Amino acid sequence: MFSQIKRSIAAVALAAVLVGPAAAETLTIAQNFDPQTLWPNGTTASDNLNAGSAMVESLFWQDPRSGEIEPLLATGFELETPTSVLLALREGVTFTNGEPMNADAVVHSIGVFIDKELTPAYAQVAQAFEGAEKVDDLTVRITLKNPYPPLALALSQIYVVPPKHWEEVGLEAFGQQPVGTGPFKFSEWVRDDRLVMELNEDYWGELPKGIDGLVWRPVPDDSARVAGLTTGEYDVVKDLPVAAIPSLEGQEGVTLVPVASYRIYQIGLSSLPQHESPLQDKRVRQALNYAVDQKAIIDALFFGKAKALNGQVLREPQLGFNPQIKDYPYDPEKARALLAEAGYPDGFEITFKFPSGRYAQDREVSEAVAGMLGKVGVKTEMIALEPGEFLRQLRSKELAPMYFVGLAPQDDPAFQASQYVSTWRYTTIANEELDALAEAGAKEMDLEKRRRIYQDMMALMHDEAPIIFLYQGLDLYGTDAKLKNFLPRGDGRMFFYGVTYED
Amino acid sequence: MLKYLARRLILTIPVLFGILVISFLLTHLSGDPTDLILPPDVTEEARDAFRKRHGLDQPIWVQFVSFSTQALQGNFGDSLRFHEPALKLVMDRMAATTELAVAAMALTILIGVPAGVVAAYRRNTPVDLSVRGTTLIGQAMPSFYLGILSIIIFAVWLRWLPTGGRGTWWHLVLPATTLSFQLVALVARVTRSCMLDVLGQDYIRTARAKGLGETKVVWLHGLRNAFIPVLTVIGLQVGFLMGGVVVTETVFSWPGVGRLAIQAIYARDFPVVQAIVLLFALIFVVVNLIVDLLYAVLDPRISYR
Repeated sequence: MFSQIKRSIAAVALAAVLVGPAAAETLTIAQNFDPQTLWPNGTTASDNLNAGSAMVESLFWQDPRSGEIEPLLATGFELETPTSVLLALREGVTFTNGEPMNADAVVHSIGVFIDKELTPAYAQVAQAFEGAEKVDDLTVRITLKNPYPPLALALSQIYVVPPKHWEEVGLEAFGQQPVGTGPFKFSEWVRDDRLVMELNEDYWGELPKGIDGLVWRPVPDDSARVAGLTTGEYDVVKDLPVAAIPSLEGQEGVTLVPVASYRIYQIGLSSLPQHESPLQDKRVRQALNYAVDQKAIIDALFFGKAKALNGQVLREPQLGFNPQIKDYPYDPEKARALLAEAGYPDGFEITFKFPSGRYAQDREVSEAVAGMLGKVGVKTEMIALEPGEFLRQLRSKELAPMYFVGLAPQDDPAFQASQYVSTWRYTTIANEELDALAEAGAKEMDLEKRRRIYQDMMALMHDEAPIIFLYQGLDLYGTDAKLKNFLPRGDGRMFFYGVTYED
Repeated sequence: MLKYLARRLILTIPVLFGILVISFLLTHLSGDPTDLILPPDVTEEARDAFRKRHGLDQPIWVQFVSFSTQALQGNFGDSLRFHEPALKLVMDRMAATTELAVAAMALTILIGVPAGVVAAYRRNTPVDLSVRGTTLIGQAMPSFYLGILSIIIFAVWLRWLPTGGRGTWWHLVLPATTLSFQLVALVARVTRSCMLDVLGQDYIRTARAKGLGETKVVWLHGLRNAFIPVLTVIGLQVGFLMGGVVVTETVFSWPGVGRLAIQAIYARDFPVVQAIVLLFALIFVVVNLIVDLLYAVLDPRISYR
């Protein structure tokens, strides 16, 4: 019945194509959640940002294809002094309501970005910012509190809003119906059902080809997203379940897009003095690393599509990645020997907490790890936690001594490193040397010196083994095969710059 | 009658207040929403600002007093995630949920009751056995499973219906069927057993002896008398329906209150959870009051004073 209706609609559409100009496709995108706000600086949740940033653009953006921070509304920046930045803006850009995109708009937007009340989710990235002032119409001076190596990354997260309109409607209303400079503009939003955007014909840059609009649909159920991709109801689907890989791989008309996530999965091994356990001993922590076969987990639970970590928490393209370090090999014999050396020839018992339903395959991975540890005599008492309770215990360090966690800090080594500093809220290691390296790296402005610092830190962390190094997460997307050049980023962000739809 | 109605309505006030207290305590005991709404690496300062903005820094009894006085005036506060009034978020989605619930209830009554009557009338025949068999499966199959199964069969394989979303009548078919499946089964079984009981009564024999046609005997004399317990079950199952929409709306991407409830619970969005719980409780109480009043319509011997 439905197919007949669809067929007749298709016939009408076909007739339209035959007489009219080349038809463009309206892309239907299925994500897990409906956005809470379309103002990108309102949250850091990728489902919100994906929709919002199709309309409201940032100063710079990080291109997933190169990993580089590329100009967008700003054309570049230079450091006058280590704490003063001159920002050059793109000429001739207007917001879709007619307001000009200029220094006033950018100064206003930076002011909003660094206001903790308005943008609490960006407080960590924004804390180095002191303020911004207009130099001329297309130049803005940003003042920093201290030299700030991840500056470019921070600038890629400042979204520019039209100040007059913002003042008129206020933050909440702006989030409901934003006005920006992006390739798409707001058309209609039926909450929890569909968010419709049309093409911004006056866009300053190059528009995606063959696409005339976007419809964002929230589809919370994994199987329903898979089904909708299969039937062609959705052109882009985010967060496909890993289990769907075999059935989708051979599917005609569907392209699977696996993306290595920024999320680093690990088993936290607390060596803090207040968490008494055999894990206080470095040899034990190393032994557990030898006892876990990451490769087997990746192959069995992620169809070989997740990435191994190389024995460090920095990813290969990141500054500070240490090419000398390799993953701990799977070597149960060595694990047993190390345990015996540490005084646990028969192993020991330990509690192991993990979230159930927060990460892809979280329970399965945890059970696999527990099984592998069991083989070297480490018996785990497994405690599954509801995601909310899990996060609470993570922040209050109640997950210790041993816990499964996936951490996805911002894409700069400073943020990755800071998670293992003794003063960090949920760290479970306190090592002065590690602290010193992280602190040095967060201040060092010289690229090569900075790289060296983090490489040293990765080597030290590898040896100290405050965690069992597991794997880099897998984000799975599916698209209509006609969609080309679509590449999401490892933090769940999708962009339509340079994307084409070819019939 | 009016006096009875007034008394019942007054009695709902303590019920609703009790629900208010329980839902408030349960949600607030379940964890800190700042953990779920803000990213884990956010500074403590920003966390405090968030708590302060939403009054979460106050002692729990202060929060309760301000919440309940506000709630009595229909103000449940602003959603922690959407920064919009919680009640507005719920009411915006109520139409979709009502559409689904009414469709499911209609299917329940239109299929469940006749199936039960026929099964009872043709007791121990293949008709009866097939009704009993189907209802057994219907009651045993969880709705999320049934939902996924029906998507695979009717949307993916046969391509008759869309996989989800709301829009045309076609969009309503799978979610309404899924939501009503267990209820149809239950109502059919209850109707069947009540009818069996009634059909053996003296007044049925009398009706037949008078020379009334079988149709009249069964559907008028029989069903009317058997209907009171069926009505009770239907009234009570409104609660089940409210729970059922949570699952069904999630599976079928239906933009209703049930889905909002799930998201709000996961995010510890207290104001929204409380608004939904209270609204669902109110619906449940009112529907059951209506059911009680219908008893008197069905059976003139029942009167309320």
